[in-house]
Amino acid sequence: MMAERLKKNRTRLIVLGILAVLFVSASQGMSTEDWVITVMRGLAVGAITFLVAAGFSLILGLMDVLNLAHGEMFMLGAYIGWTVYVRPDTFVDALTPLLLLAAGLMLMPVLGVWLGQRPLPGKVNQIWPWLGLAAALALLIYALRQWPLAMWNPGVFAESPATFSLAMSQGTMQLPAAAVATGLSPWLLLMLLGLGSTLLAAALVGMRLRGQTAVSAPYLSKSPLILAGGLALAGVFIFALNDGLTAWLYRLNHTALFALAIVVATAVGGLLGGLIESTLIRPLYKRPIYQIMLTLGISFITIELVRAIWGRPEFTMPKPEMFAGTGAGCGREVVSIVERLANQCATIFLFNGRIRTYNEIFIILMGLIVLVGVWLLLQRTRLGMIIRAGVQDSQMVEALGINVRRVFTLVFSLGVALAALGGVLAAPSIGLSNGMGGQFLLLALIALAIGGLTSYPGAAAGAVLVGLLQQFIIKYGQLGINLPFLAEPFKPSPPLVPASTVLFMVIILLLLPNGLFGRDE
Amino acid sequence: MTNLLEVQNIHTFIGQFHILEGVSVDVLQGSITVLLGRNGAGKTTTLKSVMGLTPPSQGQILFAGEPLQGRRSYDIAAMGIGFVPEHRAIFRDLSVAENLKIAERCKGDLARKEEFIFGLFPDLKRLIKLPGTKLSGGQQQMLAIARALVPDNKLLLIDEPSEGLAPVLIEQMITAIQQLAANTTVLLVEQNFVVASKLAERYVIIEEGRSVKKGLMAELVNDQETIHRYLGAA
Repeated sequence: MMAERLKKNRTRLIVLGILAVLFVSASQGMSTEDWVITVMRGLAVGAITFLVAAGFSLILGLMDVLNLAHGEMFMLGAYIGWTVYVRPDTFVDALTPLLLLAAGLMLMPVLGVWLGQRPLPGKVNQIWPWLGLAAALALLIYALRQWPLAMWNPGVFAESPATFSLAMSQGTMQLPAAAVATGLSPWLLLMLLGLGSTLLAAALVGMRLRGQTAVSAPYLSKSPLILAGGLALAGVFIFALNDGLTAWLYRLNHTALFALAIVVATAVGGLLGGLIESTLIRPLYKRPIYQIMLTLGISFITIELVRAIWGRPEFTMPKPEMFAGTGAGCGREVVSIVERLANQCATIFLFNGRIRTYNEIFIILMGLIVLVGVWLLLQRTRLGMIIRAGVQDSQMVEALGINVRRVFTLVFSLGVALAALGGVLAAPSIGLSNGMGGQFLLLALIALAIGGLTSYPGAAAGAVLVGLLQQFIIKYGQLGINLPFLAEPFKPSPPLVPASTVLFMVIILLLLPNGLFGRDE
Repeated sequence: MTNLLEVQNIHTFIGQFHILEGVSVDVLQGSITVLLGRNGAGKTTTLKSVMGLTPPSQGQILFAGEPLQGRRSYDIAAMGIGFVPEHRAIFRDLSVAENLKIAERCKGDLARKEEFIFGLFPDLKRLIKLPGTKLSGGQQQMLAIARALVPDNKLLLIDEPSEGLAPVLIEQMITAIQQLAANTTVLLVEQNFVVASKLAERYVIIEEGRSVKKGLMAELVNDQETIHRYLGAA
């Protein structure tokens, strides 16, 4: 049994052996301190890559959707998290319209039943969703343009995001003046927003009803109604308490604010994922080429949207206090890791190597938490069981009486939420830019090709390998490699970094066409 | 005696191909009915059309008097139809226990049916912790049928239960299907005429996408001309 297993996995074992030898020899030429730093950095890049790769691979495995917009969802998570963290006033202002929009969309199942029971004559049925959609968008845009939104106040607009994050990291941040509505009264705008959202939901439902010949009317469930009502009420409530809430958020310490940013970015990612799946991707399950073009389109649109809202330049996100301490208690003389963590130092020393608590420790920790959490979800819950079965044969899962589409929506939403979480976690470490999404999507794709496209452990292993490889090459770019036939040490130049990961992928795929953990399809 | 399932003159396309061009099948409550016919005649597509996996574009399917068109697969299954597809589509990444558990429609289905299922297929109890990949062909077939027995299904659609099984296992399978048919109605697709004749009470012959002949199995067994004409040498 054992021998048989060894024989079956021979190539895989040899590859793993070679990797181990390479790793050991790569770390031989370095001082321990460089070695530790490089490994920690590699693991951190691996953790972020994993967050992108895990969602991508779940979505690809279960629904056969190649979500090329996944990197942009990662980027969007970073920008949303930044806004909550650095500009809580804008966040509070924007929350009300967003909650109203979500409330409207929650009404879709209810409207579906209601409209489904009232069939309209043919022509009207074809035309009204388009008119409704146009009217809803016009109403929403009209109301949103006049909505008092802090960052878009003429006075504050001129100050770029960079100025604000600089002020925040220097501790000179002051509560900006509250946004003032121009034109219509905000309460009227609030009603217009609610009306527009409901109309939008009705139009979207109408679009879906056009194509159907026979509508089976399922029973009306009350929970979407209650949820929509709750969301709308929360929106109004937040609007009424706007100024107080903003002031409270500005007084909050940065670590708590950062935690809030993580939660909001992840939640918005999840909602957005569910929305994208149920409105845009679902009609195209039988047309995979169009689907790929659609996700590519979403990715371009998202980049342009981010540019329109936050601007083009790269900017930074200050680290939360818990990981930013310097000065007293964090000098070179304090060696104890526990003490340094208790003093909220920005760095700790591990084998004399200076490790940044946020970039390396916290990110790796979060990666591990997600790794274990999603693994438990997949292995221990009924939903996970359905996902694992659906990856193999979603038609058969459906034939057992399980509504697979609902699971599709959930998994898409989970995948995008993980990407958004990755984005907000990466932001304080690598900064924000329009290109960060594409950069990490490429890393994630390489990681998946190495680990096995739809394998969960493969995504984790591939991400760690890619991260380590990238960081070792970068480190050797600084140190140089002593080669016997060269007089000078060979220094890999920066352009070699992306090339080396791709090359690594090619080598692995030549040896193991399905990746390290993939199985024959 | 009433019909549990009535397939009325359905037409089904797969892509551009007109696979079913008028199939009618009645399945009597409490009986075993078998679909016979040559390879590619449309037997499997008929089962898939009932299941909503390849929805028919014309015609009507009634299950317990309720029309099935417009319903999605999961909805049809939830009405009480179990599907055992050809090639035993069990889930390889799931253990035997999980393969059964996933078919639960209400909590506790498996616990209620466990005794009955393991009575039919004692092997499965022994293999309960193994992953699906480790099962032999016969064990996979048993698991696929067992999975359809977990929820309270009124009708079972079983596609080619004897395909690729050793003769000893075929005998076991026949006994098992006879036992489960005591309280479930079954619609079967079976290429092996001997197996079909042992199991089924009624038959429907499908030829090039049309149902051409139906009747009692007991009469068909002696009708050499029909057997030869539609099924080739028996």
